[in-house]
Amino acid sequence: MEQRLDLRGLEPPEPLERVLDALAGMRAENCLRVLLPHEPFPLYALLRPMGYRWRVEGRVGCCELLIWSGDGPSGRAEKV
Amino acid sequence: MLNTVGLSLEQAPPIAVPFRFFLTAPLFACAGGLLLLWQGDGATLSRWTPAALAVVHLIALGFLTQVMCGALFQMLPVLAGAPVPRPEAAARWTHGLLSAGTAALSFGLLGGGSLWLDAGAALAATALALFVAATAWALLRPAGISPIVTAMRLSLAALVVTVGLGLTLVAGLSGWTDLAHFTDWVDLHLSWGLLGWAGILIMGVGFQVVPMFHVTPPYPRWLMVWSAPLALLGLTAALALTYLDLGAAALGAVALPIAAFAVFAVATLDRQHRRQRRRLDATLLHWWSAIASAVAAAVTWLMHGPDGLLGVLVLVGVGIGLPSAMLFKIVPFLSWFHLQHMQVIARRFDYRLPTMHGFIPERTARLHLGAHLTALALLVGGVTLLPGMVRAGGLALAVSSALLAGVLANAAARYRRHAAAMSDRIRGLPSL
Repeated sequence: MEQRLDLRGLEPPEPLERVLDALAGMRAENCLRVLLPHEPFPLYALLRPMGYRWRVEGRVGCCELLIWSGDGPSGRAEKV
Repeated sequence: MLNTVGLSLEQAPPIAVPFRFFLTAPLFACAGGLLLLWQGDGATLSRWTPAALAVVHLIALGFLTQVMCGALFQMLPVLAGAPVPRPEAAARWTHGLLSAGTAALSFGLLGGGSLWLDAGAALAATALALFVAATAWALLRPAGISPIVTAMRLSLAALVVTVGLGLTLVAGLSGWTDLAHFTDWVDLHLSWGLLGWAGILIMGVGFQVVPMFHVTPPYPRWLMVWSAPLALLGLTAALALTYLDLGAAALGAVALPIAAFAVFAVATLDRQHRRQRRRLDATLLHWWSAIASAVAAAVTWLMHGPDGLLGVLVLVGVGIGLPSAMLFKIVPFLSWFHLQHMQVIARRFDYRLPTMHGFIPERTARLHLGAHLTALALLVGGVTLLPGMVRAGGLALAVSSALLAGVLANAAARYRRHAAAMSDRIRGLPSL
């Protein structure tokens, strides 16, 4: 199952906090799709040690980030 | 047992890495202010007075370059995915050598003699060579081309040229080489330093932090892609023209990076005007005062206005004002980020982290803004209307810089308190 979060229009560090909160409550087999105004490089340093993987779609104007635990639903490795 | 799958310690260097630069920088600006207090308008009669040269380097090397080095050490891994190898050792050596070099060089320029001048130049050049080597290695890694990575690469190239020109000038002053059209080479050195190293990096970082911290639309793609390369093109043309003894034409080439910065300033004002959160905070006001100073400096330059006014607007209005604006957001964010990182590593989320305002309260930031604007106004008045105002401006600059040092030190102390409390809590309960 996919959970969606639109985090555009929020001041830092609220977007990072909301992502971490959502991941804390997410089941291992689910994934999180996040909409952000730009690529969240600081978030990667937090996701990586927690064992999450992600795929980035889009760069300018809007960034859509798909986050999952382990191999996840798509089976793809992290893009970064 | 801690799950460290995928952990790369280099991805988030210890907070001490950038903080040692951020906490030292205001002390050099304070020294510049005290020098102006001591020398008064004797320092600003001409750009060639020993005191003027010393103040310029205290601010450009001691404040501006320290802040930018600290920012790059932190931002390369976090914003560009390009970790610096052995960041703690690289930062320690860069910071130590740069601090010693800046002090010695400034003392040498003030009249301490060629021994201090040469030693200071050697120390500062070694520090910056070490810094360039470490960060260039990191910047080779990002495979993609992004505007911020391009800006970082070009600003580092500009730093190399700036240092090379600086060493050449010191060699000329010390009598080791005979440099024709000395003033043209000095103009080139400060153009590469302020517009190249500082200007290009400020634009590149601004493209990321302005939309991020002020929740604005992104900058236009064409501006992000072209501003840094065009600025460097203009500076390269100026270098070639100066080498060919065409100093007047070289000044014209410098108009290109000035124009790039002016367009960036206008675009920044436009982004911030369209920000989603309408609250007016000290950081925004700092940005606007720096942009106003940049525009006034550009007009002064175009109209061949007094060197003293140009120097005050560029070095104090922009060179101190704009990094201060960024530090008031970057330092609280880094503090929060490192505490959050500690929680993630320990897999413990039961400690309530402070908000960003918990590290630097808004009223403190406004107090600093007021002190900074007072210093700027007094110094502008001193170089245009009443020379006696320079001493007061110097005192105000020293006070505002000391206040900035205190604000940042307080933020660092708050971080350490929360980090210690979190560590105590983690140690006190069974591991997950």
